[in-house]
Order: sequence, then C-alpha cells, then structure tokens
Amino acid sequence: MRRLWTAAAVVVAAVALSASAVNAAGETIGSCIFEELEGAQFEGIEGNGFTAVKELKTRYKADDDHAGELIEEFESDLEGCLEAPNPIFPERTEIIWGGLAFVILLALMYWKLFPPVKNLMEQRTQRIQDAIDDADRQRAEAVEVKANYEAELADAKTEAARIVDEAREQAATVRADLQARAEADIAEMRERAAADVEASKRQAIADLQSEVSDIALGAAEAVIGRSLEDPEMQRQLIDDYIARVGADQG
Amino acid sequence: MNVFALDFPPVNHLFDWPSFLFADNEWVALNKTGLIYLVSLVLTAGLFWAAARRRSLVPTGTQTVVEAGVEFIENNIVMQTIGPDGRRFMPFLTTLFFFVLFSNMFEVIPFIQFPANSRMAIPLLLALVVWAVYHVVGIRAQGFFQYFKSALFPPGVPTFLYVLVVPIELLQIILIRPLSLAIRLWANMVAGHLLLVTFAVLSAALWGTLYVPAVLPFAMLILLTAFEIFVSALQAFIFTILTAVYIGGSLHPEH
Repeated sequence: MRRLWTAAAVVVAAVALSASAVNAAGETIGSCIFEELEGAQFEGIEGNGFTAVKELKTRYKADDDHAGELIEEFESDLEGCLEAPNPIFPERTEIIWGGLAFVILLALMYWKLFPPVKNLMEQRTQRIQDAIDDADRQRAEAVEVKANYEAELADAKTEAARIVDEAREQAATVRADLQARAEADIAEMRERAAADVEASKRQAIADLQSEVSDIALGAAEAVIGRSLEDPEMQRQLIDDYIARVGADQG
Repeated sequence: MNVFALDFPPVNHLFDWPSFLFADNEWVALNKTGLIYLVSLVLTAGLFWAAARRRSLVPTGTQTVVEAGVEFIENNIVMQTIGPDGRRFMPFLTTLFFFVLFSNMFEVIPFIQFPANSRMAIPLLLALVVWAVYHVVGIRAQGFFQYFKSALFPPGVPTFLYVLVVPIELLQIILIRPLSLAIRLWANMVAGHLLLVTFAVLSAALWGTLYVPAVLPFAMLILLTAFEIFVSALQAFIFTILTAVYIGGSLHPEH
C-alpha cells in the first residue's frame, strides 16, 4: 500500500513537472502577434490593429505613401514577435534585480550571516581540539604515573630479592657454623670416648693380669700340691705364663 | 515551430519572460528571472540566519546543511586552491556558491522550472565581479607591475616563446577567464533547460495523441531532471572553485 502511494505521488509529481515545464515555455508567437494587433494605434485611423489594417490597405492602394510607411513599420513590429532578443546579451532589468540580490546577500553575509556560523564552527573545533589536547595530557600523565609505579615496583622487587638473598646467605653461614661446631663436638666426643675406652681397656687388662696370676698361682699350687719356695721364681713363672696366654689371646 | 506535428515554442520564448511588476519601467521592470534571484537571496539569507540563530553545539537540521556547505567550501575549495590565507574570502565564495546554486536549482522546482542563470545577466555580472576581485587581490598582494609580470611571464618558458605566451596570457586574464566563467554557467543552464523542455513537450504531445509511447520521453524527462539537479550543483561548484583558483593565482603566483 505504501509503495502504491509512493508510486502515485511520483506520477502526480512527474505530471506536474512536465506540465509546468510546458507552461514555463513563455509566450508564443501567436500571442505576441495578437497582442501587437490589439495594442496597435495608427495616426488618423480609429480602432486597433484588427480594424485599422483594412483601412490602411485601402489607403495604400489609393497611393497614400504615408499609409505605406505605416504598414511597413507595423510589419517590422510584427516581425519582432519572431525575433526574440539575442539570448547572449544580458537584459538590463535582470542585471539590476540579480545584481541587487547578489550585493544585498554579499553584504548580509559579510555583516550578519557568515561570522556567527563560522565562529560557532571554530568554537566547536576549538572545543574538540581542547578535549583532544586534554585527553592527550591526561594520557601522558597516566603513562608517567604508570612508569613511576613500575619503577617503584621494580625497586621493591630488587629489594625483596636482595633481602631474600641476604637471608639465604645468612642461613647458609649459620648452617655451616652449626655444622662445623657439631662436627667438632662429635670429633671431640669421639676422641674422648676412644681415650676412655683405651683407659678402661688398659685398666681391665691390668686387672685381669693380676687376677689371672693369682688364679694361676692358686691353680698351680693346687695342681702341683706344693708351694714354690722361691717367691721370686714363682712370680717369674707366672708372668711368663700370662705373657704366653696374652700372646695367644692377643 | 511545428516539427512532426509537435508544437515546440521558439527557443527565445523559453528564456525571455515578460515583466509583471513595474513593466513600463525600463530599469526596474521585474520578470521571472529577477524574481528567482530575489528568492535565491531570501533562501540563502534565510538558511544562514536559521543556522546562526540556533547556535547549537551539536548541529541539527538547517544548521547541519549550512555548516556542511561552509565546510565543503572551506575544505574542498579554499584550502585546495588558495590555502589558509584564503579563509578571508570565505564569505564571498560562500555567497557565490549558494547564490548560484539556488538560482540554478529553480530549473527543477515544479511550476517554476527555470534556471535564472540561463539568462546571461548574472553569470556575466558575477564573472565581472570575480574578474575585478582577482585583479585587485593580485595587485594588492604583489604590486601592479609585479602582478602583471608574474601573470604574463610564467617562469620556465624559453625566452623566445614569450612572443606567443604573453599575448595569450594577457588575453586570458583580461578576457577569456571572465567570459569562459560566464558562458560556461550560462550555456550549461540553457542546455539543461532546453533538454527538459524538449522532453516535457514531447511527453505532453505524445500523451495527447498516442498515449503509450509517451512513457519513453517521460522516463527520460525524469532521468534528466535528476541529472539537472546534479548539473546545477556542479556548475555552482565549478564557478566557485574557478573563482578561488583565480584568486589563489593572484595571491601566490609561484604556484
């Protein structure tokens, strides 16, 4: 339905267009001649061109030279209907009206109309430019702030790494100290224990030798049933025995 | 004129309009052409007045149209041909553009359908104004002798060729430029009006006798109407940009 209306509107507009273009064609030759005839006035003859032409011809046929001149003059007037002015020559009234319109418009434009429009456009351009500049400035500031933050962050990271490294070094030193001390303690304790063991061993051997010699003496006495008269000899015998036993065991 | 049973009005009568106001006065008799110029004045002034009155930061409606026009003239005409110092000619060039555009556009406005610039009066007058402007601008910018020297003796031409070049350049800046400016606009509008009238008369005559074949010239009429809208705008643009080129040449002879 909408398309139908549009089509109808286009047709009506186009008909109006074509019709008015035909009407816009100006006056016709016929109407020009008609107007000339209607408006013509001749000296000494009553009526307009429609009636006077006949009278003029009658007079001309009766050898009236003046009538002949009038006829020739009127004919050239009528021919004017065929000859329109050369279209390339400007019409004075059109120059005046068109020129007046242009000059008034030019004056109005310079004086009242153009400056406010242009100013407004420039203001807008300036405002947009300011906004862009402002945005640029803020962005630069933000970039700077970001760079500062990043630098601070990098510093902090370095510091943290340094602290961690330091702690790690300290821990390693402490551990090494403790380890060295522990190892020294252990070595000392081991030496001491070894010395104790050696002393105990010697003591035990000495104790054992004494006890064994007593036992052996008793045993020998019991076995041989007699006591050796010479104690020095007895001791010698026993020590040899023990030494032999010790060598066998050792 | 009667050709193949088509009654075509004499060409002169398509352009010559009888006066309807002060008809007896040979100075201020007003006819359709004069009236179209007055309406063009009112339309241009009205548009700019409406745009200046609104003063909205975000343009809408009329303001958009006017600002688009001004921006177009500034960016596509002034900046391209003269440069930043051509901005002082903006009011002049804007007036020229809109005045020529509107007086051309009446070629396709129903029931008026007559391009005022198909009469020689204003194309010639405007061309003479432009002629005066670019000479004055050139003389003021460079001085009288330097202006004519730079205009008549283009650099880079072999000396013996100046015998040919100087008279040609002289003819050009004195006569050819204004005449070509005026005749280009006038002839384009005359041709456009003749085309539209021809197809309109043909359509009307065929519709009155054969009906169906009238469709063809009628379709052509519609196409040509669209084409003439384009031509009207194009001629206004050409007139303005050539004016700017001439002013630019007077201001900066080195280009």
